[in-house]
Amino acid sequence: MTIVTGKTEARRRLHPGMSGMLRKIWEHRADYAYVLPAIAIMLIVIAYPIYYTIELSFFSTPPGLQLRDKTFIGFDNYTAILTSAVFWKVTWNTLIWTVGSTLISFVLGFAAALALHRDFIGRGVLRAILIIPWVISAVAASYIWKWIYHSDFGIIGAVLVGLGLADRPPNFIDSVSTVLPSLIVVNIWREFPFAMIMMMAGLQTVPDQLLRAAKVDGANAWQRFWHVTFPHLSNVSTVTILLLAVANFNSFIIPWIMTGGGPSNASHIWITHIYELAFGRQRWGVASAYSVLLFLILMTLGYFYVRALSGNERKERGA
Amino acid sequence: MSTIAETAPRGQTRRRMRVDGWRWAGRIFLVFMLLYTALPMIWMLITSIKSGFAAMQFPPQWWPDEPTLASYQKLLDPQNSVGQDFLRFFWNSLYVSTVTTILSVIVAVPAAYAFSRFTFPGRNFLFFAVLLRNMFPAVIFLVPLFILMRALGLVNTHGSLILTYLTFGLPLAIWLLKGFYDNIPVQLEQAARIDGATRFQAFILIVMPLSTPGIIATAIYSFIGAWNEYIYAYTFLSKNEQLTLPVGIQRFFSENTTDFPGLMAASFMMSVPVVVLFLVLQRYFVRALTEGAVKH
Repeated sequence: MTIVTGKTEARRRLHPGMSGMLRKIWEHRADYAYVLPAIAIMLIVIAYPIYYTIELSFFSTPPGLQLRDKTFIGFDNYTAILTSAVFWKVTWNTLIWTVGSTLISFVLGFAAALALHRDFIGRGVLRAILIIPWVISAVAASYIWKWIYHSDFGIIGAVLVGLGLADRPPNFIDSVSTVLPSLIVVNIWREFPFAMIMMMAGLQTVPDQLLRAAKVDGANAWQRFWHVTFPHLSNVSTVTILLLAVANFNSFIIPWIMTGGGPSNASHIWITHIYELAFGRQRWGVASAYSVLLFLILMTLGYFYVRALSGNERKERGA
Repeated sequence: MSTIAETAPRGQTRRRMRVDGWRWAGRIFLVFMLLYTALPMIWMLITSIKSGFAAMQFPPQWWPDEPTLASYQKLLDPQNSVGQDFLRFFWNSLYVSTVTTILSVIVAVPAAYAFSRFTFPGRNFLFFAVLLRNMFPAVIFLVPLFILMRALGLVNTHGSLILTYLTFGLPLAIWLLKGFYDNIPVQLEQAARIDGATRFQAFILIVMPLSTPGIIATAIYSFIGAWNEYIYAYTFLSKNEQLTLPVGIQRFFSENTTDFPGLMAASFMMSVPVVVLFLVLQRYFVRALTEGAVKH
């Protein structure tokens, strides 16, 4: 606001009667015009749906989206969810899916960023190739891997049989025990590049002087990484892991297209389950209650996300 | 600085000898990641040039005996009903993604500028409210949005998708652009203002040109996000002639489950526009993504 100090002084004199906050808002009224379009769109498409979801979660609804016929049933939808066996199965799957995908993507991406940090011939090309899976559509990725995992003609099965490691091609995504890990492999394929990009940028901010100083003091490569590089990247790492965790928690396309949640719910995660409840079985009330629970979990994650981000801002301002 | 520059070469040689083990581990790891990344895509390409019969063999033909472009010809032939559908899906995707991209730049630029420059009350709250949108999955908004779109008469129109994608892309776009504006010295604008420019003129003539890389990056993000979006398109659109590529391909191949060469060819062609866009503009793309999380 340094630019218009003169003007604000003038405004303050014009409206002496207004009290603190209101006067401030009035003084900055022109500033809001810049953010208004963005806020308006977000309000229509976000605030209203959130309100509506919460309302619907307390109602029993007839199928077919004729929602005028809904009846109030209090917390029945919530108790129905929390006492069902499917809920715990799906929650467990979601946990494995989110934690597994997030941690492995992060570790692989971080390691790739470290390996790509120093210049060598073909580094740019290699980096570009490694990022491509992240750019292509998850639908395309799902079909590519569905074909790779195919139980009769899949290439992995053929390689395993060819090497004598299996008698017949394994059923990767048609078997209860292997379906979730197989889908996680696909998810990591699409996601580690994101972690790699973030960590590559982070690595550029580690001051060379510090690393040299550590070396002069006799620190070996691992010690330099562990005591200099890694602590320096704690903020980027936090943001990256949180973004990955949220994205994984919210993923839908890969399980939906590759297995549809099957076999026998073995690859259903929260989002696919909610989608099936709502648009498959038309149980809008229960699906909404699920969404509200999800919302609460995400708000908790969101709190940490905002804290990590504002930590960044504070540091930047201090610097 | 001069002492560092002098000692650097000596340090380099010593490091090379000592770190060799780590460096080899890094190389082996990169080869592994390259295979993990590239082999599925290569297999997609190889399958796409097989005939339907050649694809369904065990053990598979590692390279097709008779490579053929039949799948591509079928998908790109406007005379053929399959080709007609595919080209229409392609056009729909292009239309929706382009309009979304243009609108999100128009809306995000002033918002990001305001968040970067002004200190109006509620600025932080609004900024984080915008960011929080990123936390919530599409599914939470799906049912109410569907009802909202029905009330607005937008179900089965591309307008419903554009409006939704806009809110999807806005938080990230605003965040990315704010990073760029934060790095443009405010003194430049002050100088322009002293020379008699209005704030708006200073914004258009000074800030906009400097933030072009950020705007390009934001545009690529919006485009790729809209191009790849699946769940809203899957829910909002039911008429065949309006489907976008991801949904269109899914509908089509759930009816023709054995045409894997066709499916791989379609997946490949669906990926081409975004991959080309990304490869051409990747330095903006990567820089912008990291601008928000990592401050330089």
